[in-house]
Order: sequence, then C-alpha cells, then structure tokens
Amino acid sequence: MLRSDQILSTVEMIQKENLDVRTVTMGINLLDCRSGNIEETCKKIETKIITFAGNFVATCNEMSKKYGIPVVNKRISVTPIALVGAGFKKDDFILIAKTLDRAATKVGVDILGGFSAQVEKGMTETDREFIASVPEALAQTEKICASINIATTHKGINMDALAIMGQTVKDLAEMTADQGGFGAAKFVVFCNQPGDNPFMAGAIHGVEEAEAVLNVGVSGPGVIARALERLIAKHPEPGSLQFDELAEEIKQTTFRVTRCGELIGRAVSMSLGIEFGVVDLSLAPTPTIGDSVGEIFKILGVDSVGAPGSTAILAMLNDAVKKGGIFASKTVGGLSGAFIPVMEDAVLAEAVGDGSLTLEKLEAMTCVCSVGLDMIAIPGSVDADTIAAIIADEMALGVINSKTTAARLIPVPGKEVGDHVNFGGLFGASPIMPVNNVGKSSRFIAWGGRMPAPIHSFKN
Amino acid sequence: MRKQMIISVMSKDRPGIIASITGAIYKLGGDVADLNQTVLCGYLTMILNASFEESVTKEDLHAAISHIKTNCKFEVSIKELASGDTLETSGPPEDTYILTVQGPNKGGIVHGISQFCFDHNINIFDLATTLKDGQYTMALQLDLKTCTCPIGELQQKLETYSAENDLTVMMQHNDIFQVTNEITLH
Repeated sequence: MLRSDQILSTVEMIQKENLDVRTVTMGINLLDCRSGNIEETCKKIETKIITFAGNFVATCNEMSKKYGIPVVNKRISVTPIALVGAGFKKDDFILIAKTLDRAATKVGVDILGGFSAQVEKGMTETDREFIASVPEALAQTEKICASINIATTHKGINMDALAIMGQTVKDLAEMTADQGGFGAAKFVVFCNQPGDNPFMAGAIHGVEEAEAVLNVGVSGPGVIARALERLIAKHPEPGSLQFDELAEEIKQTTFRVTRCGELIGRAVSMSLGIEFGVVDLSLAPTPTIGDSVGEIFKILGVDSVGAPGSTAILAMLNDAVKKGGIFASKTVGGLSGAFIPVMEDAVLAEAVGDGSLTLEKLEAMTCVCSVGLDMIAIPGSVDADTIAAIIADEMALGVINSKTTAARLIPVPGKEVGDHVNFGGLFGASPIMPVNNVGKSSRFIAWGGRMPAPIHSFKN
Repeated sequence: MRKQMIISVMSKDRPGIIASITGAIYKLGGDVADLNQTVLCGYLTMILNASFEESVTKEDLHAAISHIKTNCKFEVSIKELASGDTLETSGPPEDTYILTVQGPNKGGIVHGISQFCFDHNINIFDLATTLKDGQYTMALQLDLKTCTCPIGELQQKLETYSAENDLTVMMQHNDIFQVTNEITLH
C-alpha cells in the first residue's frame, strides 16, 4: 500500500480543494447526416446524437460514483455545422440549432458545442447564411454554443468575417437583452481554434477527428492554490522560498490533477466503447469561492490582479501547468493552459470592480496564456466596430504568436460602467468593464479583405 | 513441485534479523519469494513465503531457526500451504478502495471501523494507523468484491458513520491513489 501521507494528500485534493473533472465532452462527426432536405438532415442528426450519446451521461455518473470524483459537466461537440449543412439557408440552420438543442436535452448533456464555421481565409455562401443564423439560433435555444474561427497563423485574419463578428456579438446581446445579453456568452470568436477542445463555448469536433471521441477537460485552480499556500506556510522565513520552487509545486500538483482526469476519461471511454481523444489540462475557474485562477496571482505575490508582475506570473503558471500535465497524460490536446474568464472567476471580477484589472492589461495577459479575452462584460453602448476591433487585436496576438486566442465579449444591453451583471451558475457575475477609445476604429474595420499571414522566420 | 511455506517471525529489533532468518532458509535449500516486514515500538515482525524441496518439513525449519545464535528470542509460526492453495497474484483486484479515517484519538476507533467493514463483508487487505498530536489517522486498503451493498449506498453509510462518531471518513478507489502518486500510468 502507498504511504499514509501520500494517501492523505490525495484525499485532501479531492475532498477539500474542489478537485473535479470539469468536463467530459463527446465529439461526434455529423458530416454523414447531410441529406436532400432539411427535415431529413435534422432527423439524421438527432438519431446519430442519441445513438452515440444515449448512455453517455449515465456512464459518466457511474464512473464518477465509482472513483469518488465529480464529473461536473457532460457535453457534446459536433462537426462545425456550416460544413454539415452545406447549401442550406439561414432558416435551415436555425432548424438545425433547434434539433441539436432537442437532442442535447434528450441525452441529458449540459451544453452542445459546434454550431460553428471556419472562415479564416474566405466565406462561402453557406458560411454567410450560417453566420447570419447565429444570433437567432442562440436566442431560440438553451444548450447550444457557437464559435467562428476567423484567423489562423497560416492564413492570417479574414477581415470581412471580422466586421460581421462585431455585429453578431451586438445582435446576440440585444436579442437576449432580457437575460442581460446572455446570448453573447454562448458565442466565441477564435484564432487557431483546436478541433479537440472539450471546453465551451468553443468546443467543436474537428473534421480531422474520428467518428466519435471522448475528450476530457481537467481543471483544479483550487487544488493549485491550496498546494501553494501549504508550501509557503512551510517556509515562513523571508528568502527561504524562491519562484522556481513555486513553479515546481504547480507542475507536480498539475500532474496529479491531470492523472485523475485521464483515469476517469479512459474509464468512460472503455465503458462506452468510444475512442479516447485527449486530456485538456486547463486551469478553468468557476465562480465558487476557492476555485479561482485570480486567487493564484495573489498567492504568487501581487496584491491586486492586474498589478505589474501579473503577466509574468501568468506566463509561469501557464507553462508549469503544461509541463506537469503533459508528463501526466498519454495524449494532451485542446487548449491546455490557464484560463482567465473574468465573469467565471470571482477574484478576477472583483479586480475589474476595483479598477485594478483593465481591458488593456487583460489583453497583455492573454499573450502568455490560453485562451483570450474571455467572458468580459462591457457597456451595452459599445458599437459593433469597436467590438470587432477588440477582437482583431486578440486575433493578431494568436496569429503572430502561433497560439490559440479567442474573444467572448458581452455588451450588456442597457448597462454601463458602474453596473453589474449576473448570469448565475458557472457563467458567473461581474461589474461592467470600461472600454477606452470607443468609436475610434471604424475606418480600420471598414477595410475588409484579409490581413495577410505573417512571415514564419525572422522571429523577434 | 516444491513445497510452499508461510513463515511469520516476531522479535525485538536488532541488526541482522533478516540475514539470520533468510540464512536458515537458504541452508535448507529454500527460495524466498514475497517478504514483508515492519518495525513498531522497537519490535520487528516479518511474514514471508518460501519454497522448499518436498523432503523439508516444518519441524526442520523450526529447528534451523531456533538454532540461530541470538540474544533475543524469535517467536516463529510456520504454515505449510496445501497443494490446492493458490498464491496471490500481484496487484490489487478491480474493486480495491482506500478508506481513510481521521479524528481526535479515543478508544475503539480501529474496532469500530473494522466492525463496520465486517458488517458489510468487506475484506481489509492492509491497514496502517498513526497517532500524532492527539489526532488519530487510519488508512485501510479494502476489497469490496464481496461487499453486501452497492458503492453509492456504502458511501452514504460511511457519511452517517462519520457524523455519528465525530470522525472524517473518506473512501476512494485505489486507482486514484496509484495514478496520482506513481509515475507509471497503468
């Protein structure tokens, strides 16, 4: 048997420190569901999802009970719907969204992602019809998440699509104004979107993937925070603990967290007879007290999140998480890093409220972590072009640095700086974040066309 | 076919006990397989499994061990395995769980938990307890294969037991502890 201290530290991790498997996401290929008409296509989509995922939730719950570790979310990702519905019109895509919503409800999953298009170089007629359907489709469904990839390192940024994204975000928020613009929280714009990410709102089942796979998202910022606090408490003398030792602690703790996710994911995969895909070892916070990435910044030495040093701390945190997790898992993929979704993290939201965390600092921080400007509530008065331009800056970071970046902005209708928005549950709450220089980027957005792909040498 | 014997030895601890015992076995042509030993409060206890030629008897082995020159007396017990007895294979079975118990020290903690296991027909493979600063900690490795109730119900009963006895009792699958503490991914 293992030593008692090893056993007890694992027990603490599970019981007291919010260790869970954040999500098990089943990716399902829907390309073979395209039929001669929309009704037949919808029928095939629903049947396929129910066939593959009928026992999915029950199996996850069974494994969760067996191993004593909660699986917080059970989700489905599908092939980007703009590909599945090639040739369909806007109204057809809304019908597909409703079909996906119904299938997700029937199999009992929390969210379904993949109402998506990939338009980093150009848009087909179908892509345009699809994008036009997004605001209504999300406003009329509950469980559907949408994402559009408008940029990659190899193709640059599709500036035509970018301009539409700004308006899409505005339309989404306004169509769901009675819920504080919640529709925009289910929509994310990507650069270098991975096809095996299990986290929402950006999960898709990429066309490079097998018929069906299971991807697991592990999290555990609470576990990392408590491990760091214990290490610091053991070294009360100034100078007796250095930054590299803190990085090592994060690495080792991530190893243990990742291992739990891999164990559960493989058990579910074996039980369902569905191929195991990847473990995505991202530090994803929840609004629960003690499950915050923002808290880790404070433990690591800045008194406010956003203070000078915050970007360096995040760089170390993100890297240490990758190092520990990659060694722990046979197959790592997805986003794999630290998330800083403002509304979903109580400490980050508080930093927005007291003015220490600004949009500009957040943008800088996203250079060194995954995923990007995530879950940020901004004034409802910010115009579509300014939103598109914020997205453009975030896309440029991803294009140049060969990394995934994304933007999920919520222009909360009728709210301004000083107000507060609350979506409840995992989506959280936050004060409205100020946006500087509103209305000064319209000429830039109006250019359209493409931002060319960057040179891949002379890196400096 | 060689004869399998299980040998248990207890003695006051000193350097050279394992060398003496395994020396006596070696002189009789024995081959030591599994061995476990531990020291508690200055006393050593050891259990081992060794194989011998058919001609070697329990009495031969007793005599060989009692002829070891030593200041401390060995308390020895030997069992010969019948040919039908199977030796345990390595690795815990599928339904192995780890139960941890923590709380302020008081009489009857070990008895209470072991009685709970017995009441549900749970076999205890391994058990370690420590007492430090008035806090009692137990870690038990359990086989739930023959347990009389499903895992969900058992977890609920353990929760009730925790509350009634002012103890923190947790049970998790053995695999969790293996994957979080060992490099190799099984």
